[in-house]
Amino acid sequence: MNNRLKVLRAERNWSQAELAERLGVSRQTVNALETGRYDPSLPLAFKIARVFDQAIEAIFLED
Amino acid sequence: MTTKPMNTRTIIALCVGGLALMLILPFAIAFVAGFMQGYAGKEPDIGSAVPAIVSPLIVGAMVTALIVTLVWMRFIDEAAREAHKFAWYWGGLSGLATGGVFVILATLPQAAAFDAQAMLGVRDDPAAYMALGATLLAAVMTAGYLVAWAAWWLRHR
Repeated sequence: MNNRLKVLRAERNWSQAELAERLGVSRQTVNALETGRYDPSLPLAFKIARVFDQAIEAIFLED
Repeated sequence: MTTKPMNTRTIIALCVGGLALMLILPFAIAFVAGFMQGYAGKEPDIGSAVPAIVSPLIVGAMVTALIVTLVWMRFIDEAAREAHKFAWYWGGLSGLATGGVFVILATLPQAAAFDAQAMLGVRDDPAAYMALGATLLAAVMTAGYLVAWAAWWLRHR
């Protein structure tokens, strides 16, 4: 899946480490999510949506 | 599993501790086994007791390693967990397929010419050949795991 994580993170001037801290995951996981190497689990997807205050469908896009 | 991931310091401490355990324990067990075997050379009556004395240590080491990996898998985050699962499946499977070729070749009559004692300096008895084969298969599977794990993290980078 594609996602807008990098764009949303950049809009808020957060580093990958900062986003990782907010999500409770490692920086490597945030990198893996942004580069499309890994799709998050449902609980993590919901957490991401909460952090960015957006719907999951607005963040994650089907290929 | 949605447990909170460990911070970097804890992860490093667990890595170092786990590595130290995995490096020190085999040497400790080998030392005890060697000491006991040497002692058995002088006191033949104790020779038969060496496996009984060393076995609990080996079992203890394996149980410890399993507990360490259980704690490790529980506390790393989901992407790291996914990388390990991917690596174990594809890397282990590839290693098994590779090692399996040699296992099948070893069943051929021509394999009887393989002299492990001359080539590798190991004992020349069936148990030693079994241990050598199992060790080599485990090594190939571990190598496959490491390659797959690295590939998971490096792809699309």
